Amino acid sequence: MGKTLECYFWNPELDLEDKLDFKYQDIGNGIELKRPIFTNDALDKIITDLKKKRKEFLLKMGIANILDIIGKVTDQWMNSDYSRRKFALEVLPTITGFSVEMLESLGFGYMLGLLKKEHIPLTGKLQNKNFTEFAEHGDGLVRAYGETEVAYSNYELELIGHVCAGNILGLAPLEMVMDKLVDAATWIKVPKEEPVFGAIYAKSIEDIDPQFAYTIAILPYESKDSKVQDFLFSKSDIIRATGGQQAKKGLTDLAYKHNIPIAGHWHKFSFITIARDYMNKRAKDIAELVSFDVTAWDQQGCFSPQEIFVETGGDVSAVEFSEMLAEEMETISIRLPKGSKSGKMHVLDGYHQYLKKEMMGEPVKLFPSSTYQWLVIFDGNKPTFEPSPLFRVIKVKPIDDIMDTVSIIKPLGSFLQTVGVAIPNNRLMPFANAIGEVGATNIRTVSNMTLQRSWEPWDGRFPLQELFEHDGIRWVSINTRDIEEDIKESLERKRMLVNQSKVK
Amino acid sequence: MVKFPSDEWIKNFKDKLNKNKTYEEVATNWEGDFLLIISPDEKLRDEVVFYLDLWHGKCRDAFIVTREKNAAFVFRGPYSNWKKVINNELDPLRGLIRGMFIVEGDSKVILDQAKAAQELVNTASKIPTEFEN
Repeated sequence: MGKTLECYFWNPELDLEDKLDFKYQDIGNGIELKRPIFTNDALDKIITDLKKKRKEFLLKMGIANILDIIGKVTDQWMNSDYSRRKFALEVLPTITGFSVEMLESLGFGYMLGLLKKEHIPLTGKLQNKNFTEFAEHGDGLVRAYGETEVAYSNYELELIGHVCAGNILGLAPLEMVMDKLVDAATWIKVPKEEPVFGAIYAKSIEDIDPQFAYTIAILPYESKDSKVQDFLFSKSDIIRATGGQQAKKGLTDLAYKHNIPIAGHWHKFSFITIARDYMNKRAKDIAELVSFDVTAWDQQGCFSPQEIFVETGGDVSAVEFSEMLAEEMETISIRLPKGSKSGKMHVLDGYHQYLKKEMMGEPVKLFPSSTYQWLVIFDGNKPTFEPSPLFRVIKVKPIDDIMDTVSIIKPLGSFLQTVGVAIPNNRLMPFANAIGEVGATNIRTVSNMTLQRSWEPWDGRFPLQELFEHDGIRWVSINTRDIEEDIKESLERKRMLVNQSKVK
Repeated sequence: MVKFPSDEWIKNFKDKLNKNKTYEEVATNWEGDFLLIISPDEKLRDEVVFYLDLWHGKCRDAFIVTREKNAAFVFRGPYSNWKKVINNELDPLRGLIRGMFIVEGDSKVILDQAKAAQELVNTASKIPTEFEN
């Protein structure tokens, strides 16, 4: 018996289901996706109702009640016996192409855990004048770059629209919660690659508090459906969007047309820098930690590393480190295997491209997986930044000094995002200052690259603040105040997350 | 009418809070003192600091600070935002989220005490307050 999954959610009292036509898509494994074909009339009713529910319920709720509801919803999802979680784990591997282990470990084990009450970011905005140098915030440090220049400010948001990219699970739930913290109603365009989880999550909110849930609508329209998008933009106070360069152009133009701000999170590059101080007996631990960064979300996230720069001069050379990493990649791929979206062709592409170089006598050495699960490439040529084919293909490049990374990645500028580091405390700050200056925004201990903290900025802006204000400040964070300690803790955290993935 | 900010106002607040049964109930686990800093803006010339010692649903002490004083939590914001809070027009936690106030101290503890924070505001709003012109 097959399953038909509803990819939409809105207040059922609107009674629209009988009035709309639906499209059905068979995606295999007995799963069929059901998407509405929106009419202007239906969209108008949904948006009007969202605004009404906000006024009648959300605005009258104390923040304590809002936090309670968010807490209760998250508690449900943290329970591995929760029926909606079990259902999601049944269907999401087919829909997303990620393995059930990946979804369980990083999706439910980590991403949704960010919505636990104790992780809710209470400070939406910091005073940049207090952060002209890296200073304490959350569990780590942040620094502000630039001068305040407020281009947009709205403390009374009525409706926020979200256009979500499909590479990471869990974006829609995060957006729903963020919006409620600023008292706004929400519509979310879920991605075609993963149109289901947003609706499942919204229903889990409905289970706890229906009126609260009806300030949210999940609208799985197609990007090419410009009439729908045009209408939704025209009714919104701000749009937050994630996507590639093509999405950036279309969405930015549309926001401009409707004279509304857009908080965009577009294509980014991330990488790792490892200091020679760790290229000794600790190198194996570092390789274990790095293997998690490369494996997480099959390297599909903007925060996933595409290159690893290893400083020479330690006891362990960059090529020896590559071999250690290959061993760890093999180990972790057993616990966190690839799903149906294996990217085999991408891995093969990386392999053949570099095999040719190796055969031509270039200082290149390949460490492949026999099953195309992953590929580690040591490339001893003069280091430059080259995008990875992804799907667990990673290049290791030797550098003379960690500060050389700065000039290598400088051309990427605003395309930079997360920097995974294994750099001792006494060398980290000059590196962080320089790398922040050229455009990187999140510096995280290796193995934490894909583990966003709720207090951290996202692409240089705080996720709550960018909903109500755009002030031109670019924030850079370091996820810890003590990297030596964090490396120890990261090993435990990584092992716990990976072990969580044992399918019950 | 009691002038805000003044020592008389914060002492009045303490008396009202100690009579508030709802507060006593929701703040039963609260331990920690506060410095409430009212920063100057166009309506207030000089900074005013209140000290508030909150302990298990009761206010043990409250006064205007004239010397250096430390506390577990510091809650800081401009006078005009405090006025909105006292008039029950702004939830202080919503104010925090929007950057209208700044907190120093463990914000997770404050998150856990959101209901107590709301009751503090409800109490403050019952004081017949005279604001700066």
